[in-house]
Amino acid sequence: MAEERRFRSASGAPIALRRRQHSASCRELAVRGPRLQLRSLSAATSAVWLAAYGLFALSENSVVLSAAIFISLIGLIIYLHFIKIDQESLLVIGSLGIQVTSSYASGKESTTFIEMGRVKDVVINEAIHMQKVIYYLCILLQDPEDPQGVSEVVPLFQSSKPRLDCLIEVYKSCQEILEQRKTAPQSS
Amino acid sequence: NSPAPLPERAIYGFALFLGSWFGFILYLIWAYIPETWLFSLGLTYWPQKYWAVALPVYLLVAVGIGYILLFGINMMSTAPLNSTHTITDNYAKKQQQKKFQEEAIPALQDIPISEVNRMFFLPEK
Repeated sequence: MAEERRFRSASGAPIALRRRQHSASCRELAVRGPRLQLRSLSAATSAVWLAAYGLFALSENSVVLSAAIFISLIGLIIYLHFIKIDQESLLVIGSLGIQVTSSYASGKESTTFIEMGRVKDVVINEAIHMQKVIYYLCILLQDPEDPQGVSEVVPLFQSSKPRLDCLIEVYKSCQEILEQRKTAPQSS
Repeated sequence: NSPAPLPERAIYGFALFLGSWFGFILYLIWAYIPETWLFSLGLTYWPQKYWAVALPVYLLVAVGIGYILLFGINMMSTAPLNSTHTITDNYAKKQQQKKFQEEAIPALQDIPISEVNRMFFLPEK
């Protein structure tokens, strides 16, 4: 059972949240950001090439032109492979753990798995980020010595930065699964 | 410690007023009177007149950089999104749990973030 809803990110870009329920204790939530736009790609490439042509007109050195082509190609590859994140997904499996996956535009996927014994809670926190106060979802990790304490905070959806309405949907879905581990305590 | 006028404060104020006028006139003399005239008066060991222009410029550039520096220091001391300082701090960790008493106003204490989230975002049952 899958459903997709449209939301906005903190900066106003359109994002889509897709919720899939695989079983009673397993849910997958994926936030998909906007794909690389042709107009921004052409704008960046034209700006770099115009600047290179201006330098060439000043210096009469044709190496500038080849360097500009090289730089724009390498820059595009680096951007697609390391910077542009297309989709971030959260897979919550009730008794097992939480898996966080980021898929880059070049197809690379980076995955982190946190086992359920280490997870204290999934909460919506608000913090100051770059002259703005934003809401963001984060996983609180249990402190082994102190049952009430939090040892680490893992922020989620860092590149798509959904707004509060999307975060509340994700929060409710996660809490439904996390509550099950309180009502049915397993030995761990 | 009240800010009311006192005789001592009036004297300090007048002394500062005279002192700042004296300093200003001295600066004008140093900046404008030609060196030869100062030498003929016997004042040979005053700093170069270059500094009469350089010091105010240094001061103004430092003030301008100070704006940017303060902005940068603020950004650096803001806790990153993955730090526990956004959730709790030493005072909240060490607080004593006060017992709940019937018909009394509950004691003021830090509420854990999980509880706050449940109250805000999960619908009331």
